[in-house]
Amino acid sequence: MNGLQFEALLPYTLLAAASLVVILLIAFRLSHTVIQITGFILMCAVMVALLQASALLPVAIYPIFQIDGFALLFTGLLVLCVMVVGLFSFIYFEEREENPKEYYILLFLGTLGAAVLSISSHFISLFIGLELLSVSLYALIAYLRNRNNAVEAGIKYLVLAAISSAFLLFGMAMIYMETGSMEFATIAKKLQTSNGHSILFITGTGMMVVAIGFKLALAPFHLWAADVYEGAPTPVTAFIATASKIGVFAVLLRFFQTIGLSNYPMVITVFLVLAVASMIIGNLLALRQQNLKRLLAYSSIAHFGYLLVAFLPGNAAGVQVAVFYLLSYSITLLIAFGVITLLSSREQDTGDLALFRGLFWKKPVTAAVLTLALLSLAGIPLTGGFLAKFFVLATGAQQQLWFPVTVLVITSVIGLYYYLRVISTLFGEAVPTPVKKTLHPFFYLTTYTSLIVMVVLLCWLGTFPNDVIEYINRQLLIR
Amino acid sequence: MILVWMIGILLAGGFLCWLLARWNTQLSKWAALLSLAAGLLIVGSVAWQYGDTVRSQATWLIDYRINWIPAFGISFHVAIDGLSLVLLLLTFFLGLLAVLCSWNEIRERTGFYFFNLLWTLAGISGVFMAMDLFLFYFFWEVMLVPMYFLIAIWGDSNRRYAAYKFFIFTQAGGLLMLLAILALYFVNATQSGVYTFDYFDLLNVSLAPETARWIMAGFLIAFAVKLPVVPFHNWLPDAHSEAPTAGSLILAGLLLKTGAYGIIRFVLTLFPQAAADIAWWAMLFGAVGIVYGAMLAYAQTDLKRLIAYTSVSHMGFVLLGVFAFREIALQGVIMQLLTHGIGTGALFAMAGMLKERLHTRDIEKMGGLWSAMPAMGGMALLFTMASLGLPMLGSFIAEFLILLGTFPVQPALTSIATLGLIFAALYSLRMMQKVFLGPVKGASPPKDLTPRELIIMATLGISMVLLGLFPQPILDMVKMTVHQ
Amino acid sequence: MALGSALMVIISRNPVHSVLWLIVTFFAISGHYIMMNAQFLGIVNLIVYAGAIMVLFLFVIMLMNLNAETEPKKNKWLKMAGIIAGGCLLLVLVAALKDAEVKSSTVQLVDGEIGLIKQLGHVLFTEYVVPFEVSSVLFLSAMVGTVVIGKKGD
Repeated sequence: MNGLQFEALLPYTLLAAASLVVILLIAFRLSHTVIQITGFILMCAVMVALLQASALLPVAIYPIFQIDGFALLFTGLLVLCVMVVGLFSFIYFEEREENPKEYYILLFLGTLGAAVLSISSHFISLFIGLELLSVSLYALIAYLRNRNNAVEAGIKYLVLAAISSAFLLFGMAMIYMETGSMEFATIAKKLQTSNGHSILFITGTGMMVVAIGFKLALAPFHLWAADVYEGAPTPVTAFIATASKIGVFAVLLRFFQTIGLSNYPMVITVFLVLAVASMIIGNLLALRQQNLKRLLAYSSIAHFGYLLVAFLPGNAAGVQVAVFYLLSYSITLLIAFGVITLLSSREQDTGDLALFRGLFWKKPVTAAVLTLALLSLAGIPLTGGFLAKFFVLATGAQQQLWFPVTVLVITSVIGLYYYLRVISTLFGEAVPTPVKKTLHPFFYLTTYTSLIVMVVLLCWLGTFPNDVIEYINRQLLIR
Repeated sequence: MILVWMIGILLAGGFLCWLLARWNTQLSKWAALLSLAAGLLIVGSVAWQYGDTVRSQATWLIDYRINWIPAFGISFHVAIDGLSLVLLLLTFFLGLLAVLCSWNEIRERTGFYFFNLLWTLAGISGVFMAMDLFLFYFFWEVMLVPMYFLIAIWGDSNRRYAAYKFFIFTQAGGLLMLLAILALYFVNATQSGVYTFDYFDLLNVSLAPETARWIMAGFLIAFAVKLPVVPFHNWLPDAHSEAPTAGSLILAGLLLKTGAYGIIRFVLTLFPQAAADIAWWAMLFGAVGIVYGAMLAYAQTDLKRLIAYTSVSHMGFVLLGVFAFREIALQGVIMQLLTHGIGTGALFAMAGMLKERLHTRDIEKMGGLWSAMPAMGGMALLFTMASLGLPMLGSFIAEFLILLGTFPVQPALTSIATLGLIFAALYSLRMMQKVFLGPVKGASPPKDLTPRELIIMATLGISMVLLGLFPQPILDMVKMTVHQ
Repeated sequence: MALGSALMVIISRNPVHSVLWLIVTFFAISGHYIMMNAQFLGIVNLIVYAGAIMVLFLFVIMLMNLNAETEPKKNKWLKMAGIIAGGCLLLVLVAALKDAEVKSSTVQLVDGEIGLIKQLGHVLFTEYVVPFEVSSVLFLSAMVGTVVIGKKGD
C-alpha cells in the first residue's frame, strides 16, 4: 500500500474510526447528545474525505478494492443516508430512554460494511462487507429487545441471512472452481477465453443471485421484509431500506458490469423474472396493509423491481439511471421514515394507518412532507420519484424491454391506489390524540429542518435534475 | 416569456393563497381572484395583440424555449397558436368564475383549497401550451394531483371513492401515454440520431404503420379517458357529482377539453395515417357516446350526474367531428369545446347553487322552484336550451358545424348522432320540468340568486349568446390551425 | 465416512448422539483438508469446530434438556414441502455439477503450497491485509451486537 491508496481509503478508514470514537466516548460515559453531535461531525468528515479522494480517483488496491467514481457515488449516498438516519435516531431513542449509545457503533459499522461493498471488486471483500453489514443489522433490528416483535424480527433476519450467506459462499466457490479466481476482472477474463457458457458458472451465479436477492428483498426472497421493517426500530428500518440496499445493489451492479453478465441470456431471464415478480408481488401485497411500515416494506420490494428494469440492459445509461433512482428513492424513504419517527410514541412505533388520520389538520407541515414523499414514491411529477421512474422507463424502452416496462406501468397504477389511500387518510377527519412529552426543541428543530431540506432536495431533483445527472455522469466516467 | 408568466402567476398565486389564509381567509380569496384576473388580462392582451396575425398567417404566435434536462433532450418549450389561445382564454375565464363560485361554498381550509384550484388551472394552461412532449406529460400530471385533492377533501359524501376512481383512471391512461411518448422518442432517436422530446422535431418522424398504430394507441387511450369516450367514461359521473361546485366546473369545462386538445394537437398531427385508419371506429365510438350519454342522462335523478352524462354525450360530438378530417367539422369541434365549457360549467354552477339552498341533488325532491327564484329559472332555461342546441346560442353553431362537416364523410353515423339531439331535448326538458316547474315541494321557498351568483350566471349567459350570434372571431382565430 | 456420519447426525433421535456424530463428521472433513495439503485449514477446523463449537453445542443441549417427547409436532405438509424443495435444489445442483465434471475444465491450482501456514500468513498480511483488517472490524461488530442484546435489562 502506498500513500495514494491510503488517501483514497481514508473515507473508509474514517468510517471505521468513527465507531471506535463512539466506543471511547461511551467508555468515558459521555451523554447521548455528545455522541450524537460527534457522530454527525464524523460523518461530515467522511464526506469531506470523500470529496478529497475524488480528485485522486481511480485508485485500485489490487485485487481487493476498486475505488472509482462509481464507488464514490454510492459511498456518498450511503453516508448521506446514515447522517439523516443518525439525526432521526436521536429523538427516537431519547424518547425510549433505553440506552441508545451502542446503537451508533453498530450503525457506523453497518455503514462501513455497505461502503466496503460498494468498493469491493473481489469475492473476499464482498463477503466480508456483506457480513459486516448483516451482523450489525442483526443487533440493530433487535435493539429494542423488550418489544416482542423486535426480537422476532431479529431472529428472522438472522436465520434467513445466515442461509443466504451460505448460498453466497457456495456460489462463490463454484465460480472459483470454474475460473480459479475470486477477482471480478480476472473472472471476466477467464470467461472470455473459455467459451463462457459453463454450467458451473451459471449455477454459481444463480446461487449468488439468491443471496443478493435476499438482501435486496426481491420477490421470491422477500418474506422477511415486512416483519423486519415492522419490528425494527424506525431509524433502523430506514437504514435497512436505504443504506443496506444501496450497498448490496452497488456490488451487484459492479459484479454484473465487470463480468458482463448481460451477455448471458439465462442470467438476464433470471433477473427479468425477479424484477417482474417483485413488481407484482410487492404492489399487490401492499394493497391490503394497514400499517405504514409494512406498506413501505412492500413498496420498497416493488421499487427494487422497478430498479432492476433499469439494470437489465447492463449498459452505462442503466447505471446512471440506477444511481439517480437510488438517490431519489432513498431521500423519499428517509422522509417517510423520518415522519414516522417523529410521530412515534414511547410504547410503539406509529405504523398503524389509523393513527395518521387527519394528520394534515393537526400538523400540516409533517403531513405535507409525508404526502410529498408518498407522491414521489407513486411517481407523480414535481418530485424526484417521477423523474426516476421516467428514466427507468426510458432505459427500458430504449432496450425494447417492452414486457417488464409494461408490467412496470400496470403495477405502478396498482401502487397508486395504496399511496392514495394513505394520503386520503392524512386528509381525513381528525381524531384527538394524547399530547406527547416534548424534548428539547432544538432536536425537533434539526429533525424538521432535515426533513424540509430533504423535501426541497426531492422537489429540486424532480424539477431540475440536470446538475445531478451531469455530476453522476462525470463521476461514472472515472473508471 | 409571457407564457411563462401566465403559468407562474397561477403557481405563485396558489402559494400566496395558502400563506394568506393563515391570517385571513378573505384575503386569500381575493388573492386567488386577482391572480386569475391578471392571468385573464395577460391572455386577453395577447389575443388582442396577435388578433390580426392569427387570422392571416399560419405561424406560432409566441414560441419560448429553454433547455431543461439537456441530457435527455428535454426542454421547457411552450408555444401557442390560435387553438391554444382560444382554450387559454377559456381556461382563465372559467377559472375566474370558479373562484367566484366557491366564494361562500368553501368554509374550511380555504387557503389550501385555492392553492389546489390555482395549481390545477396552472396545469391545464400548461397542457394547452406545452410543445415538448415530456413537458406536456408533466403538466398533464400537475393538473391531476390538485384536482384529486379538490375532490377528495371538499367533495360530497362519497368523495373518497370518486377521487380514487378519477385519479387511477387518468393516471393509467397517462402512463400509457408516457410509454408511447418514450417509444416515439426512441424511434426518432434511431432515425435522426437526436434525442429530443420536442414536438416540432417529432413531427418529422416517419413510422412504420404497425409501430404508428401502437404508439398512437397509447396517446389515444390517455385522451379517450380524459375526453371521455364511452368505454372509458366510468370515472366521469362519480367525479363530477362528488366534486365541489368549482371542481365540477373545472372538470367539465376544462379538464375534458385537454383530452380533445390532445387528440387534435398530437394524435392527428403525429400520426396522420394511423389516425385516418381508425377514423371510422373513432367516429362510431363518438356516435355511440352521444346516444348512450344522452340515454343515461335521461335516466338520472341526481342533478349533477345528469349533467355529467350530458357531457359524455356532448364530447361524443367532439370525437365525431375530429375524426371526420374536415375543416368545417374541426371548427365545429372547437366551438363545441368552448360552448360546452361555458354551458356545462354554468349548469354545474347552478346545481351547486341549488345544492347550497336545498341540500340535495335529487331532482325528485325539487320542483316548482321557478316561482321562488325566477332569475335562476330564467338562467337555467337559457343553458338548458343551449345544451339541447337551440339556434342563436353557441352550442347550436358548434353542433351544426360538426354535423355539417361529418355528414358527407359518414352519413350513417351522422344520422345516429343526430338522434342524440332529440334525446338532448328530452333530457333537458325533463330536467327543467322536474326542477323548476310542477308542484312546489319543500316547505320554505329558497332565496333567489345573490348579486355574486347573478354576475357569474350572467357572464356565462352573455358569452353563450355572444358565441351564438358572433362565432366568427373565434372561427377566425382557429382557422389557420384547423387548416393545417 | 463424512457423508455417513453427516447422515447419522440427522437421523439419530437423541440430540447428544447427533452432536457426537457431528464431531466425527468434522474429523472426517479435517482429514480431507489435510489430504488436500491444506494443513492450516484442517487444524483450524478441528480446533474451532470439533473443539470449541461442539462443546458449546453440548452445553446448550444439556441446558435445554431436550428429549424426544418434547419435540414439537410439525406440520406434515410443511415437512413435505421442505423435502420437495430441498430435493429440487439437490437435483438441480447434482445435474449441474455432473455436467461440469464431464467438461473437466476445473482449474488446477498453480502449486499445492497455498494451504500451508507459512504461505497463508504471508498472503494474508501482504496482499489481503485490508480485508483482514476489515474482518477484525466485523468481529468487533459481532461483539458489540452480542453485548447489546445480551445485556440485562436495566
